[in-house]
This record gives sequence, C-alpha cells and structure tokens, in this order.
Amino acid sequence: MSELYKRYVDVVVRMKKDRQMIPMKLIWDNDREYPIDKVLRVEPRASQVGGSGIRYEVKICGQIRCLFFEKDRWFIESFRP
Amino acid sequence: MSDRIIFHIDINHCYAQIEEMMYPELRKVSMAVGGHEETRHGIILTKNDLAKAKGVRTGESLREAYEKDPNLLIIPPHYDEYTYYTGKVKEIYRQYSDQVESFGLDEAWIDYTNSQKLFGEPGKVCQEIVNRVYQELGLKVSAGISWNKVFAKLGSDQKSSAPYEITRQNYPETVWPLPVQDLLYVGPATYEKLRSRSIRTIGDLAQYPEEHLKKAMGMAGVMIHAFANGEDSSPVTEVTAVSVPKSVGNSMTMIHDVGSWEELQPVYYVLCEAVSSRLRQQGLEGSVVHVSLRSAGLDWYGCERKLDQKTNLSEEILDAVRFLVSSYDFAVPLRAVGVSLSHLSEAGTLRQMSLFTNEIAREKARRTDIAMDEIRARFGFQAICRACTLVDRPLTDFNVQEDHTVHPVGYFQGRKMVV
Repeated sequence: MSELYKRYVDVVVRMKKDRQMIPMKLIWDNDREYPIDKVLRVEPRASQVGGSGIRYEVKICGQIRCLFFEKDRWFIESFRP
Repeated sequence: MSDRIIFHIDINHCYAQIEEMMYPELRKVSMAVGGHEETRHGIILTKNDLAKAKGVRTGESLREAYEKDPNLLIIPPHYDEYTYYTGKVKEIYRQYSDQVESFGLDEAWIDYTNSQKLFGEPGKVCQEIVNRVYQELGLKVSAGISWNKVFAKLGSDQKSSAPYEITRQNYPETVWPLPVQDLLYVGPATYEKLRSRSIRTIGDLAQYPEEHLKKAMGMAGVMIHAFANGEDSSPVTEVTAVSVPKSVGNSMTMIHDVGSWEELQPVYYVLCEAVSSRLRQQGLEGSVVHVSLRSAGLDWYGCERKLDQKTNLSEEILDAVRFLVSSYDFAVPLRAVGVSLSHLSEAGTLRQMSLFTNEIAREKARRTDIAMDEIRARFGFQAICRACTLVDRPLTDFNVQEDHTVHPVGYFQGRKMVV
C-alpha cells in the first residue's frame, strides 16, 4: 500500500435539519474543486495518518477516499504529500 | 443482593498516547510530555514506550530524564487536546452505563451491574469497549473487572491486553501476591509504615489484624485493610455537582532559585493575587493561610497561620505569608513556593468590624483587588500589575490562574469513607 499523508482541506458541507453533515465537495490548495459523488459510510474512527474523528468514506472522481471531520476541521488521507 | 460489576478503564500513558495518536511519527522516537524546560516547570508527565525502555520515569525532572536519554524529545502538554479526547473516550463508556465516574482525565470506573441485561456478558462487553476506544480514537486502554472499585483498578493496573477479571474466587491468587504499594491509598509514607511491620504484599495486609493497623494508623489503616480484602462498597457516581473546595491555593516553580524575601515577595504577590481573585470568584473567604516552600535541595517546608478575621484580600494573605516565610532562613535557596487558604466559608455581606484593624484601609484594599480583577477581565492579565513585580520580570511573568492545571482528584471526592 502506498504511503498516505494527512492533508487538511476545505470542504463544502450540506448541514441538514437533523444535524447530519454531508460533505458536498472538496477544495484542494490550488482552488481546484472535486465534487463528492457519494458518501459510502460514516463512522467514528482513528486515522492511520494521525488524529481521529468522524470518518466519511467517500467516492471522489470514481476513487474511494477517507475524509475525516476532526474536532472542528476536515482532513483527507491523501495519496499526495 | 448479588455482587456489583464494575469496570475500571485506564488510558495507557495517556498524554503521550494522545500525542502519538495525533502525530504518529512520534511513535518512532523516544518521547515524553513534560513542562517547559526554560521556565523549569519541568517534570516528566508521561512518556512513550521507547522512553520508558531507556528508563525515563514519570515525575522526574527534565534534567534527570535527559541524563538517561540525551535524545529524548520533550513535548509541552496540550491540555485542551487531552481534555477533548479523554472526553470522547468517556462518551463511549457512557453508552454502556449512566454510572461513569472519572478519576482524573485518563481513568474511569463504570458500574455495569444494571446494564448487563441490555448488553450481555461483562467480559465480552468490556473487551468491546476496549476495542471501540482503539478503533474510534486510536487509543489503547487497559481494563479491569471486579465487584468493587479498588480491585477493578488493580485489575486494569495489570495492563493485560484482555480485561483482567478479579472475582471473589480468584482474588487470593491474583490480588494478594501483588506488592502492597499497588493498592489504592498506599503511598510512600504508608508503605514505609507497612514495611516496618513486614507487610509486603496485599495478602500480608489483608491477613494482618485490623486492630493493630487501627492502633498504628487510625482509620486509614482500617480503610486499606478493608481494601485489601475487597470490602469496598463505595459507589460509582458521576461527579456532576461541583463540590465546595476545602482550600484554594496556587504554587509555582520559579525560573531561578531565590535566596531572599526581597526577591521572593513579588512572586508571592502574584500568587496571593491569584488566590485572592479565585476566592472572590467563588464567593469564599478563609481564615488559615498555609505556605509551602521547596528548597533547591528539594526539601519541603510548610507552615500555617490562623488569621483573626476571615479574608480574601491579597494584601492580608501576603502579610500572613510574609510572617510565615520569615521563619525560613534562606540558608538553602528556594525553588518552588506555594500559598493556600483553608477553613473556607461563604463571604457574607455583613461582617463584624474589628476595633483593632483599620477598616478604612481594609475597604481600600478590597476595592483595589476588585478593580484589578475587573481591569484584568477586560484587558487581559498583563494589563495591570504591582510595580514590584516588574523588578525581575521573568520571575513573575506567569498567570497562575489561567495557566491550565489539571487537578489531581481524591478517591472519595468529598464523600465519606464507606468500608
């Protein structure tokens, strides 16, 4: 398995009436936006790149990635440093 | 009535593990969480396994730790993170019982007795909690199960990978061979007393005549004797009600050793102001001032004085401190100092005036204190200070009141002893 990196990212979130949060798109450093196609699973988990929080297993551009809501911000287990 | 089922769960070397969880690369180096070395608030609070292997111990000074391991990485504590993550751990515990009692940040008792019908077999559920804390928060915890809190804690202290169960059947084989100092409330002083009576294991203590212990050590002897026999019926209670403090105090390790009262006075001004301000915030006043001094040779020296009138004025507290410290000859310079006020009661609005004190000056001092509190609340702690504290700025440059401290907690937390 290739090495993963912890990357804090901007995330556009839909906050539902019942307090559920659904990440809609992810914004990378160069302002490129990546829509989140689907949220596959949501559960509290520790991350292998450090930190813990609510893990959103999501599909972005056909790839499965793990996005974490850690305390009050978002990070992604990134394949790129 | 059937026995209770109590879990005790302890986050292994808590602060260090939380740091490692947040920054996994720390697992690869020998690391400890400790105070800032430059300001000498420096002791090792916890260490990781690599540091432990090099002999670094909790509670020793940073200098001692560096002697054992020159490459030791020391990280200043991040209490906000520890409070946050340990809170998350306890949220998991509370999903299994409403009776969760915290014992410091990292430890907790969970009374599982009434939840058994909901969740099932205690051993399995306890293991499930351990697994969940690891999966969800990345923290390793160790657990003990028993019918009383003391043995449950002893169980988790064994640090076994699976929950360590101590039952009425197995405790003579599992608990009694353990060294007596492993028992709750057997500290170094008690240990010495027990050792002089050839009590070395918990079993020795359990079988020692209770009367003899009572004679030698009073109720504390009866208590630890009962603990050794598993007779502890103290309940697991959520500590939500804020208990009234018995004393309010602050202490400080100074940036350099201090060899005279002139040098020490500004430090005490800051400490007394902090104590006085905290008393006012809680609407309390006290009548006994206690001073503790630790010399550079690490000897402790403590003394106290009863005041004629209850007070929460910084000037009056400082006067008492001045009197008490005058009995110290400064032959050995001081490294750490502290002051506390006890015999507290609510600060009433009505007060008997004294014929022998200058009440006008007293009122002035009270207003000064309140004005300083208000200025600090609005513009920050540094906004106002006594001129004398500016002479040696680094020495007095601390805000004891707001610098985060995690208070040690007592087992009884204000409850009466139940044995």
